[in-house]
This record gives sequence, structure tokens and C-alpha cells, in this order.
Amino acid sequence: MTGQAQLPLTVIGGYLGAGKTSLINELLSGDHGRRLMVMVNDFGAVNIDAALLSSVSGDTMELTNGCVCCTMGADLFMAVGDVLDRADRPDHLIIEASGIADPAKIAGVARTEPELTYAGIVTVVDGLHFTDLLEDAQIAPQLESQVAVADLVYLSKAMGAEVQDRLTALGAPTVLTNRADVAPLIWSLSGDAPETDGRHAHFTKWVHQGTAGFTRAELEQKLAARPAGLYRLKGFVRGGWEVQIVGKTVDIRARDGVEATTLVGIGPEGHVTTPDIDAWWAAPLMAVPDAC
Amino acid sequence: MSGITVYSAQKIITMDPQRPEASHVAVQEGRILAVGGADCADQWGDVVHDDRFAGAVLMPGLIEGHAHMMAGAMWRYAYVGYHDRIDPDGKLWPGLTDIDAIIDALTEFQSGLAPDAPLVGWGLDPIFLSSERLSRAHLDRISPDRPIAIMFSNFHLMCVNSKALELAGYSRETNAEGVVKGPDGLPTGELQEMAAMFPVMRRLAVDFRGLSQSEDSIRTYGEVCKRAGVTTVTDLYSSLEDEDLATMLRVTSDDGYPVRIVPALGTAGADPAQMAERAIRLREQSTDKLRLGAVKLMTDGSIQGWTARVRWPGYVGGQPNGIWNTSPEQIFALTEVFQGAGVQMHIHVNGDEAAEVSLNALEAAAQKHPWPGARHVLQHCQMMDGGLYRKAADLGVCCNIFSNHIWYFGDQHAALTIGEGRAERMDAVRTAMDEGVRVAIHSDAPVTPLGPLFTAWCAVNRQTMTGRVLGAEECISVHEALYAITMGAAYTLRLDTEIGSIEPGKIADFAVLGDDPTHVAPVALKDVPVLGTVSSGTVHLL
Repeated sequence: MTGQAQLPLTVIGGYLGAGKTSLINELLSGDHGRRLMVMVNDFGAVNIDAALLSSVSGDTMELTNGCVCCTMGADLFMAVGDVLDRADRPDHLIIEASGIADPAKIAGVARTEPELTYAGIVTVVDGLHFTDLLEDAQIAPQLESQVAVADLVYLSKAMGAEVQDRLTALGAPTVLTNRADVAPLIWSLSGDAPETDGRHAHFTKWVHQGTAGFTRAELEQKLAARPAGLYRLKGFVRGGWEVQIVGKTVDIRARDGVEATTLVGIGPEGHVTTPDIDAWWAAPLMAVPDAC
Repeated sequence: MSGITVYSAQKIITMDPQRPEASHVAVQEGRILAVGGADCADQWGDVVHDDRFAGAVLMPGLIEGHAHMMAGAMWRYAYVGYHDRIDPDGKLWPGLTDIDAIIDALTEFQSGLAPDAPLVGWGLDPIFLSSERLSRAHLDRISPDRPIAIMFSNFHLMCVNSKALELAGYSRETNAEGVVKGPDGLPTGELQEMAAMFPVMRRLAVDFRGLSQSEDSIRTYGEVCKRAGVTTVTDLYSSLEDEDLATMLRVTSDDGYPVRIVPALGTAGADPAQMAERAIRLREQSTDKLRLGAVKLMTDGSIQGWTARVRWPGYVGGQPNGIWNTSPEQIFALTEVFQGAGVQMHIHVNGDEAAEVSLNALEAAAQKHPWPGARHVLQHCQMMDGGLYRKAADLGVCCNIFSNHIWYFGDQHAALTIGEGRAERMDAVRTAMDEGVRVAIHSDAPVTPLGPLFTAWCAVNRQTMTGRVLGAEECISVHEALYAITMGAAYTLRLDTEIGSIEPGKIADFAVLGDDPTHVAPVALKDVPVLGTVSSGTVHLL
């Protein structure tokens, strides 16, 4: 509607006390070169370095690299509309889901609204208390679904094999335990802002240029078989497709005039290797019936 | 000049046990000076006799303890629901019982729209449409060029035409949850939940919630209330931004504004201490017509959406238990803070598990911060049984019960949600009263239409849409129902010393009725005509 660049949206979910605010504080203070808009539940918990803070008014904090606003009471979707209507859009929108909320209900709008792009659901899990919380029948189903819809799980506090197993069983695709590794994945390959991942050595990057062409059904089959740790993949595929993958979310859109296949991918080191990705891409397709 | 007006009426039902009936009421400075016969105010000075209500019956102004300002804002759009409704201008919108009737009505509505305006409808409830589901193809018959969006009555779904799909960029390519596709791989036009509806609402500039705060909507809400005989109404989940408050204060302060509004501040996801502080700050800005200071807590969802949190044995169709909008842990945290700060809470509880958790939280809060007379209110209370009502009575917690559900959804509850046995004891006003709970009953407008006399009829008769009586043991008397929509509701709003009955010293708020609700047959209670209201002494006839 405004001709501005699409705005990437990331939703941060997780139960009360899981560590969502600590992650948000880290995103706000990081040296990522992006202007952020962050919508939080609780203004008071956000801890901004005074050097970054330029002004506070009502329920908005203006920062040198963006702003934080409090969604309390307001309608979240209307607030998203307001951000899109701003003359000067931020580079990335981060929304903190409330403790019991289903982050997918918010993040879904990034897949429906043409002016947004989907930039993942990060669910924060408190490793010390998670298994106990799952014993509470009143809330366990909702906490389980927060993990099930996540593209990335960040396990704060302790890391036990038992928790890791529970998360995997619930469908967590990638579980990170180092908070510093989360932000680069959130920013990776999103928007036009500069890549500043260079100083982080913890990631596997993959770049591919080729001529392989696919039908939609073939491409769907290929992407469904991708290595588990390949968090982000984007680019164009000959046959007329644009591909966007964030965690477990795959988006394939028809595009005219795609003559070559150009893809870039990224995943956390230790979860995926370049040979894994090469092997996956080179593997032959199973026969797929013709599809329109 | 003393400025005393003495109104005569065919009958005045006072709800004051010391003088249950009268023929005259004297009003001075917007308040009730005296009640009795023609001479009731003579000792106070010169009086002016006014016989305009001589053929009418006066009651205390009716009080709707659970409604939303949106009930007024909706009427800028076309109503396409199954049940008859009357708009704020008094126009009857007949219920539409099949898709052809809906298409015809929308086609007619379209003729009054500017060529470039979107066509927006509301109130559609597919649970009542036995034929095929509404789709883009039906709406395209109205117009291929004008975007059309029809909001369902639950506000979780909408159906749009091809033009609206195109504007939102929805096509065969779209692969997003909530954008429903047909066997042909194309979107059917049905959009489920906000994420899917948002791109259309944004492009058609539809904002049902934001609309609630415009001056026009506040005035329309007043008209809706006047037609229902209501002189005090809630807005039970208000965001009350600073600019909204300024508008509300200005509009409600007009002499001609016919209703007192009691907003409750929504608290979802917020920091409780900050919210409490805000509620207290708002309370200090209250005026006669705008009573601020309460908060609203959400807990679970709705029973007919299978999102209410229910206790064993759950839903009769085996659906999973519902969802919390606020976790039990946070319900405890919020209630403790609000109780400690002296802020009254209205707590949404549809399922019995949500009611139980909320009562436990209120009990824990009361142990930490004793506050006799807090009058927190559980709202909806649809599945509460004797045990939960006894606990509410023990704690001094009021219950505002959603009696309209019996008629609108009672058959569905028996067949599809919680099953026969528990459906028969739903919205158990009899039990609540017998256990000593302070009770009000409500419409949750615009979910069901605002109309306390209809709500009273539901609680008295407990009839469903198919005509069955759902749980005859829970029926209450007409007098009890009339008490619930006046003094009962006033009590839950902490306004019972000012409104709710016609007695000296109280605010002159009356409902002007065309018949005597205590003399018509109980099954005709809903048909008693409302002729208008008197609000703080100002007459508002229809």
C-alpha cells in the first residue's frame, strides 16, 4: 500500500519467566545495524542502555536504533497496521507474545499480509522449570504447542538431556542454548539491512548457484527433505519459484522470469554442516506425479 | 423556584422493599426527591406536575452489567444475522435464515453505498444456516468490483468476495493458516482468525474494536441503550487510551447523553502494578455519567467455540480442553495485585475450571489483603454449580450470569458442547441466588442484543430456540429477574447506593415501559415495550 520494503516479523513466545525479556534486551543492544520496532507486554522489564535511549513518552520508548512500545490493552493487530502505515518503516518488527499465548496466532499475519515477511517464531524455554510445568495439566497443552509451532527454541538457564529430549519430542526443530547465537539467526537473510554475521563464527552458511529446475511438486518434495538444522533458506529456483524457509515454515511463490537457481542458507554450527546441505541438494528426487 | 417535577405514572415499580409500588415520583436536580402519591413532594416547595408518563409504567433505569461499546459501532455496517435486531434508529433488521436472503439484503444495502466504498456486513452465524457454507461465489453475485467482507458473529471468522481476496493478495499461491481453500485449490473466501482476516480488514479500513472509541460510536451506544430502557451500561473491556478518555468525558457530559457508562480497563498481558495504578488514576476522573476505576481480566475462551476451560468430564464431543488467555499463575498474580491496590475486578469465566481457578485466586488474594466489600465480579459464570456458587458467596464475590445463552445457544450446548446434564444447569441463577450470591444477568452485547427485559425473560423461562425448557429447576421469578437487572446489577458495579431503585436520594434514572412487567404473563416479559428512559432527570422518549 505504501511501496515500502516488506517488513520482517519475528514473534518471541514462551511462558512467564522463561527469559523472553532478556532475549529482547539482547536484541535491542546488539550491534546489528537495524532499526527495530519491538512490541512488549511489560515496559518496565525492558532494560535499555542509557546511551541507546533517546526519549520516553507514554507507552513508547524511542531508541537510537528503533523503538519499543507497550502493547498492553491495545489491539496487537491494529498496532501492526500502525507500524506498516508509518512513513518510515523499521527494518524488523519483533513482537513478544504474552506468557500463555500461541505465538503462531500472531506470526501467521506475516504469511498473510503482503507487506510483511515471515521471520520466524522463537520460543524461549526455561530449562530449569520446563519439565515441571509440563506436569501441570492446566497449562501443559498450551506450553507444548508453543514449542511445537516454534521455528527456533532458545533454552535459557539450564540444559539437561531430559529437557532436550522433551523439546525434540514436542517437535522443536533447532534448540539453541547460547543466547548470543539467537540474534544472528533472527536477522539472517532478512530484509535489505546489512549482514553483520561475520563476527559470529558459529554458523554454517551455504550458497548455491545452478540451473536445476523444478515443478512445484518436486520442489515441495525437495524442501521437505531438507536437513533439520538448516534454519534459513531463501532464493529463486528455475521453473519460476521464489523460496523462503524459516525454521519449519516453507513458503513457495510463483515468480516470472526466474532463469537460474540461486539459493543461500544458514544454520547453527553443530546442527548442520555444509556437506549435509550439499548432499541434500544433490540427492535425486523420487518420482513425483505430474501436478499442476 | 424549587425546580421540582412530579411525574405521575400508571404504576411505578420501585425495587425499594419499603415502598414497592407508587403512583408518583418527584424529581429535583436530576435526583429523586420523593416517591408516593401526587402530594409526595408538596412539603418541599412548589411543584410542577407532569403527566406525560400517566399511561406508562416506570421502573428504575435498567442496568446492563456486561456489554461492549462495539454494540453501537456495529450498526454502520449491514446486519445479516439469523435473529431479528433493531438498530439504534429503531429500524428493524429482520433475521436472515438462508444464503439467498443474505445476498438479497446485502444487494439492497449496497445501493446506498458510494461506488468506491467497501460493503461490510456483520452478525452471520453459520451454526444457524443449514444450507451450504457462505463463499466468495455467493458474494460475487452482489458485486465483482466492490470489495465485500462479512464478519461472523463470533468475530473469529469472515467471508469475503473475490475482489477483497485480490486486494489482500490471496490466490492459489497463498499457503497460510486460516485462508480456507476449496477442492479447486482456490481460496473459498472464508478467512479464519485475525491473522487471515487482517490483510482484508486493513485494506477495507474495517476496525471493529477501534471504532468503539469514536464519538459517533459512543453516541450510538447511548441510542442502543435508550431503546432497551438502559440508563447505566458497562463497556467491559476498554483500552481507554488518553485521547479516548477525553472524547468519552466530553460526549458523556453532554446533557443530552442518555446513559451512564461504566468501563472496565482491559488487563491482558500487562504489568499488574502499572495497570492498578492506571485504574486508580482513572477512577479519580470519574463523572456522574462516566464511572471509571474497575478492571477486566480474561481467563478462558467460549463454550460454543470449545475454548472455555472446563472440568471433568470435558466436552461431550471429546474436544480437547479449551485455552487460557491468561495462565492460572498469572490470574493469581493479577488478582493479588488488584486486591492489594483496592481495584475492583470483573473476571471473565465461561468454563467451570476457569471459575474455580479464579475463585481460588480471589481467596488467596483475600488472605493476603483482606478487603471486605470488594465486590469482585465473576462474569458469564455459565458452568458454575452449587459448590462454586457457595464459594463465591463465602468470599463475597458477585456473579453476573449470561442468561441470554440459554435461548441463543442452549440447544447447541445440550447437543454439542457440554451435554444434556450440565446444559440443564447452565447459567444457574436459581442456585446462585439460593446460595446467597449477589447476582446480575447480562447480554454481552453485541454478542447477543442488548435488552435487559429479554435477558430477564431468559432467566425466568429458560426457553431455547427450539422451544424446550432447559433446566426448569433453575428458573427464577419475574420479581427476582427484575431485581437482577436493576439492584442486582447496580450492586456488582458498586453503584447500588446511587441507582437501581426508585427511592429518595437516588439518581432519577427510570425505564419508561408501555406495559407492566409484573402483570403480563412471564412468557411475555420480553415483549413489554420500552418507550424511553429518564437519565439523571432528563427525559429521553423514543
